[in-house]
Amino acid sequence: MKTLLKPSDIADKSDRLCHVAPGELTPLPYPYEDFNQTVLTPLKPEKIGNIEASLDDTVAIGIPKPANQEEEEALVRQFLSGLKKLFEKENNWTFLQPLLLSMEHCAKCHTCSDACPVFEMSGRKEIYRPIFRSEVLRRVYRKYLKPGGKITAKLTGDIDLNWKTIARLAELSYRCTLCRRCAMVCPIGVDNGLINHEIRKLFSQEMGIAPKEIHDKGSVQHLKVGSSTGMNPMAAKDSAEFIQEEMEEITGYKVDIPWDVEGADILLIHNAGEMLAWPENVGAFAIIFQAAGISWTMSSEAAGYDAVNYGLWYDDVQFARVAVKHADIARRLKVKKIVIGECGHAHKALTVIADRLLTDDLNIPRESAMVTLENIVMNGKLKFDPLKNNFPVTLHDPCNVVRAMGIVEPQRRILRKIAPRFREMTPHGVENYCCGGGSGFAIMSGYNFAEWRNLVSSRKKFLQILNAFEDEPQAVPKYVCAPCSNCKGAIRDIINYYHAEERSHLYYGGLVELIVNAFEGMKKPIISFGEKPSWE
Amino acid sequence: MPQIELAGKIYEVDEDGFLQELDKWNEEFAQAYAKTEDIEGPLTEEHWKIINYLRDYFKQFGIAPMVRKVCKDNGVDMKKLYELFPTGPAKGGCKLAGLSKPTGCV
Repeated sequence: MKTLLKPSDIADKSDRLCHVAPGELTPLPYPYEDFNQTVLTPLKPEKIGNIEASLDDTVAIGIPKPANQEEEEALVRQFLSGLKKLFEKENNWTFLQPLLLSMEHCAKCHTCSDACPVFEMSGRKEIYRPIFRSEVLRRVYRKYLKPGGKITAKLTGDIDLNWKTIARLAELSYRCTLCRRCAMVCPIGVDNGLINHEIRKLFSQEMGIAPKEIHDKGSVQHLKVGSSTGMNPMAAKDSAEFIQEEMEEITGYKVDIPWDVEGADILLIHNAGEMLAWPENVGAFAIIFQAAGISWTMSSEAAGYDAVNYGLWYDDVQFARVAVKHADIARRLKVKKIVIGECGHAHKALTVIADRLLTDDLNIPRESAMVTLENIVMNGKLKFDPLKNNFPVTLHDPCNVVRAMGIVEPQRRILRKIAPRFREMTPHGVENYCCGGGSGFAIMSGYNFAEWRNLVSSRKKFLQILNAFEDEPQAVPKYVCAPCSNCKGAIRDIINYYHAEERSHLYYGGLVELIVNAFEGMKKPIISFGEKPSWE
Repeated sequence: MPQIELAGKIYEVDEDGFLQELDKWNEEFAQAYAKTEDIEGPLTEEHWKIINYLRDYFKQFGIAPMVRKVCKDNGVDMKKLYELFPTGPAKGGCKLAGLSKPTGCV
C-alpha cells in the first residue's frame, strides 16, 4: 500500500486504498491510553463479498458490485451524465455558482487540511484531506467534460475514470461530516464541504446511490410514514402522552403538550428522534413553554412532528419535498412562526437552505429555539436558582446552528445565567469541532461504520470534552450540553464506546433540560447522573 | 441480503441481524436466536411477556416503544430488563421479537 497517495491513485486496482494501522490515530490521554492501539474491527470477507469496499477499513453505503463489464461501463456513463448536470443552470440552480467558484479557485495551500478533524485524527491519511475528493472531481470534470480536456489533463493533473474511481468517490463522500470547518478557514473561500455535498447529490439524484439510513429509512420513510423514526401520527401522539406522564413523575410538574392548535403563536417542531431517545428534551420544552405562558402547538400531521430533513445532506429533491411540507403545515395551521427544536441540521435546512424555496404564503417566519429560549429565560418572567445546576457544564456547538448560521451567543447567555460552572471548550463558537456524527453519520451504523465514527470522526470532539473538564476531579459528574439530536447521538456513542461514564463521569443532554433543572420551586430535578438525582 | 439459519429455517436479516421478513417471525425463531443474544437456556415467561408486548406495540404503532415505556407497562426496571436481555432491550429484545432496527435520529 502506498503511503503518499495522489488523487489519481483513486483509480488504482488494489483491494484497499487506505488502512489505519494500530497507533496511527491521534493518542488519547489518561485514562484512555488502552484505546491507543485500537483500530477498526476488520470487515468480514463474507459480508463484503458483493459490495464495494476498496476505499479504506470501513463501508458507509455498501454499493452492490456490478455484475460485468457492461454494467460497469453503464455506471460510468451515468456518472458522467450526473456530473454534467451539476454544472448546468437548469439542473443545479441552487448550488451552481458556489460550486463553480470552488471548482475553479483552489490554490492547494492545504490550510483546510489542518482544520479538518477527520484528516488530523486519522493520522493525516491523504484520502481524508478535504481537497482529495474535490481534486478527484475537478480532474474528472476537466478531463471528461471540458473541451480539449483529455489533452490538457496531461498538464493540469490526469485521472483515470473507471468504476473503481467512481465507487471509491461515492464512499469517500461519506468520510466527511460536512462540518465545513475547511470552508471557514480557506483564505479564498473555497468550500470543499459544498463540493462533497454535490458529489453525494450526484450519486443520489442520478444513480440512486445513498446510505440506506438516510435515504430508504430516512427521507423516504419520513415522507411516507411521517417520520424517519418510523413513527406515524398515532405513534407520535402516544409517545407524547407518555412523555407528559413521565414529566409529572420525574419532576412533579404537570404538563400538557398541545396538538394542532390553529392560530397558535408558535409551531414547535422537534427532531422526532427526541421523542423516542430523549423524551425529557421534549418534556422540558413543554414545561418551559407552559410555565412562560407561550401560545404554542405541535402538529400531528405526517412530517409535521419531525423536523429532520435528511435531504440536506445528500439530495436536493428529497430536501425540497420535506421543506415545503413543513412550511405548508405551518401555513395551514395559521401559526405566527415555526420554532425548530434542538436539531442542528433541521435549523439550517428550514431556515437558511429552504429560504429560496419558500416563497409567498409559504414564507412563514422561522426561528431557532436558541433564540426563543433566550427570550424566555432573559425576560424575567421565570425565576431560576442556578445553584441547582451546581456541576461542571460544557457546551458543544452544533456546526449547523453555530458555524453555518452564526447563532453563537443566545445559548451562552442562557448558560451563563443558569449554569454557574459553565466552561467553554477550546476552540468553540464558529471554530468548534464537529461531534463526528454530522451529515448523517450519527445514525449510520452498517458494517463497522459506527466504530469508524467513534475512533476517527468523533475523536477530536472526545479530546475536546476531556480537555474542558481537565481541572475537575474524576468523581464529579460532568454535563456535556449538546443542543442537537444528532450531536447527542454521537456524544452518547463516544461515552459508551470509551466507557467515559465509568472513567470520567461524563453525562450529556440538551439545553432545555438544564433550564428546567434550574427552575425555582420545582419539586424534583429533571437531570440525573445515572441513578443519582442532580440535586435533592 | 445476509441470511441466518435458525432451527433449520433460513431467514433474511440485515447486516446487524435484524429480521427483514417480519411476517416470518415465530416462537422458534425467538428461542433459537436467544443464544446469540447472550440468553442461556429456554426463554422464560418474563422474556415472553416483553417479547409479546414489543410485538403488540409494533403491530399497533409500527415502531418499537420507548425503553422507559417498556419498563413502566411491564412493571420492570431497567436493571431487570438488561438481566433479561443482556445485549439491551433495543437490540436483543427487538431482535428476538422480530422487529426491524430503530431508524432516524435515535
